Amino acid sequence: MNRILRSVPLVLAVLILGACASGAKFSDTSPSLTPASGETGRIFFYRPSSLGAAIKPDVRLNDEVVGEAVAQGYFFVDRPPGEYKVTTSTEVERSLSLVLEKNQTRYVRLAVTMGFLVGHVTPTLVDAETALKELPKTKAVATK
Amino acid sequence: MAGLMATLALLPGCAFDLADVRYTPSAPLDPGDAGETFTLSADVRIDRAPCNYDRVLRAGTRWEYVGSLPEGRVFRSKDQSLTLECSNVFEAYPIVDQSRIVAFYLPVEKALVKLPEPVALAVQP
Repeated sequence: MNRILRSVPLVLAVLILGACASGAKFSDTSPSLTPASGETGRIFFYRPSSLGAAIKPDVRLNDEVVGEAVAQGYFFVDRPPGEYKVTTSTEVERSLSLVLEKNQTRYVRLAVTMGFLVGHVTPTLVDAETALKELPKTKAVATK
Repeated sequence: MAGLMATLALLPGCAFDLADVRYTPSAPLDPGDAGETFTLSADVRIDRAPCNYDRVLRAGTRWEYVGSLPEGRVFRSKDQSLTLECSNVFEAYPIVDQSRIVAFYLPVEKALVKLPEPVALAVQP
């Protein structure tokens, strides 16, 4: 019994670390902050915290899955200007509505809060100033 | 044990959507004459936004006119993202009447959220 209990922290650590982003670090690759085409806008999604790393809900943009909210991860998509709704679902759905303009870059922070059974991941809109302080610590996650 | 099971069965469906931004549909935004801008000369604190979520419009941010509603003139800024937050988050533009913020316009929902008390703006001359 003691042997099993001693192995719990190791198992938890493996679960948590294995759930974090493992791609190239933002600060090493310095991806372009502006959209590839002047006719589109760019939306960065990032989750700076490792809290609740085992929970990785899909990130939907107007009902289309664009990526996963992976702990300490980021990804971006380019989209035409327009109105967008970002949603994430765990035991509840959380949403953010935003407007994207041509040649504009928006930053969506995926914040983790405690839930009843599992953590909630809430998308929030942040300024470039805030995002560019937090993004360098994150790693790339593939888009879907 | 039976009580705990009953609680677990009942709570997940409703416990976390306790608060949301209450908004009402707005009149169509009249684009009017574009080009009007203002720059804040001091921080503007909005402490009675929905869900008591404080907001500060920062000094030095520039706000551009995007249209008019019966409640006032609507502005947005490229220097600062403004949202209203409860359980969900909505991008919001301030509606200004006589140099005071009287409400917020939600551009995606095409809706209004009125402030209980107008908030005065400090604008650079």
